[in-house]
Amino acid sequence: MTKPAPAHSPAAEQEQLAEEQEFLEAQPFDLLTVPVIGPLLRWRHSRTFLQIPLLAVSIVMIVEGLFGPTLSPKNLATVLTWVHFRGALVVAILCAGNLFCLSCPFMLARNFMRRFVHPRLTWPRLLRNKWIPILLFVALLFSYELFGLWASPWLTAWVILGYFAAILIVDGLFTHATFCKYVCPIGQFNFIASTASPLEVAVRDHEVCDGCQTRDCIRGSRKPSAPLVVMQRGCELALFQPAKVGNMDCTFCLDCVHACPHDNVGILSRLPGVELMSDPQRSGIGRFSRRNDIAALAVVFCFGALMNAFGMVSPVYTVESWLKRTLHFQNQAAVLGILFTAVIVVEPALLLGLAAWITRAWAGVKSSWLAIAVRYSYALSPLGFGMWLAHYGYHFFTGLYTIVPVTQNAFAEIGWPILGDPQWTWVGLPKTVVEPLEFGFLLLGLAGSLLVAWRLAQDDSQKHPVRAFVPWGVLCVILFLCCVWLMTQPMDMRATMLAG
Amino acid sequence: MPVCVAVGCRTPANDETGISIVESIAPQPVRAQTETVSFRLTNEAHQPVASARVQVEADMNHPGMAPVFAQAIETAPGDYRAPLNFTMGGDWVVLFHITLSDGRKVERQMDVKGVESN
Repeated sequence: MTKPAPAHSPAAEQEQLAEEQEFLEAQPFDLLTVPVIGPLLRWRHSRTFLQIPLLAVSIVMIVEGLFGPTLSPKNLATVLTWVHFRGALVVAILCAGNLFCLSCPFMLARNFMRRFVHPRLTWPRLLRNKWIPILLFVALLFSYELFGLWASPWLTAWVILGYFAAILIVDGLFTHATFCKYVCPIGQFNFIASTASPLEVAVRDHEVCDGCQTRDCIRGSRKPSAPLVVMQRGCELALFQPAKVGNMDCTFCLDCVHACPHDNVGILSRLPGVELMSDPQRSGIGRFSRRNDIAALAVVFCFGALMNAFGMVSPVYTVESWLKRTLHFQNQAAVLGILFTAVIVVEPALLLGLAAWITRAWAGVKSSWLAIAVRYSYALSPLGFGMWLAHYGYHFFTGLYTIVPVTQNAFAEIGWPILGDPQWTWVGLPKTVVEPLEFGFLLLGLAGSLLVAWRLAQDDSQKHPVRAFVPWGVLCVILFLCCVWLMTQPMDMRATMLAG
Repeated sequence: MPVCVAVGCRTPANDETGISIVESIAPQPVRAQTETVSFRLTNEAHQPVASARVQVEADMNHPGMAPVFAQAIETAPGDYRAPLNFTMGGDWVVLFHITLSDGRKVERQMDVKGVESN
């Protein structure tokens, strides 16, 4: 029998040290503990601090878009929106998390409005889902192709203005963060993409939450002497921290971080995509397997990435010519509508339906084919994210430095050439550097999708996990090959798909 | 394929210089390769404008793409030619940065839609 070590013996200290080491190793990385960044983010006004520069840039983009150069590559509105903003957004999601929503300039305007306007309406129960933002997201992709938004500073400025108007109207009428949760198409893109992020806003120690009586993370805190005065907002997207899972619907606003009286909410590391591998009850969301709308978002996110890239390569013109000849259509919107319907609705319905049917028949999974399709559709989002990364990352990295001459030009245009003559030869990283990155992003996406599909298959069929996995693995590989094919096609960007 | 290419487009003067430009590109259809842009500069009296220095710049209509530059050479009084390497298919905008012999500067623009990929 071993005699227990005395409390202060070297053996006990060693044991305690080992336990502490084990505990520390089990703790995920917490961004809020990083010097400089941590204190900055924990500062109560950190979000406003991050939003102000983006609001200033947005205003500059609107002014430049409406009144600046009409040529897209020389205008800040188009260069910043279609090269830098999109690229930086997906790279930030890959490296950290949903940082755009954190610093969203539209929310700053909305918060300012809410100092004077106090909405009383609640968003209709029928609309508390993702169907409206899915339609808006598709409409945005459709308009992008139809009107050649990338080629028009004026239209780009109006898109930004429209966004400000929409959030002020919706959140001026409805309580909480209705726009973010139920309307914003960019937000939904960020939510589904950030399921593959390495960081999430999460509880540090669940035992602390077990003893919490106030639930400030969701309720916020109010002035004791004046209960109507909100001192600190709780989560406006109805995510109760102890039951929150992953990044879905999380805007990284950090209200919960500031509200928690126990300092028990952090920005923690996790395995990217891990939230897609299981199906727990999620605060503010429910179970993924019961959310057809979020599954549809994941599907549109993946196939929308293909469609968006397809609109930028030569073969699209062969397809639209064939459509025109076959259907005797001349209307641009109609032909584009057919293409979008085929790629974003018909193709996924057939592919996912077939994969679900095979899973059900071959692996003996008892659920209905629709339930299986819904469950596995989340496995497509890492691959979709890989495609968005490859596409937007290409424009971002190959056009990285174009912001320099365009800014020089903007100053020169207003008669204040303090930055010198525009250096139009400043473009970006060479394609020899960027192209391997693109394929790396696609491979990462494929690996993530295969892993998620495998974990779901293991849960679904303990007897035949391989049989449950194979249809979805094959589907992911087919889509990956489509992505690779698209990225190797010659780029061919026209202001309207049916130009001429 | 739906291709709209500027052939013999005439861009009228829109400033006090009264300089007009008539441009064309050959061969047709314009492809993603080096093509020749030819143009003729005339003044208000429809007389050729000789001895101008013209830098030709081509930009994709999508931001973030590398612009292409070329220096035009005068092949006859008022007639100029520049090789332009269209690096990819799609819609391009060609800018003519013209410096007249008396030092005045003029800008003209031509759309080249639907350059075909190779």
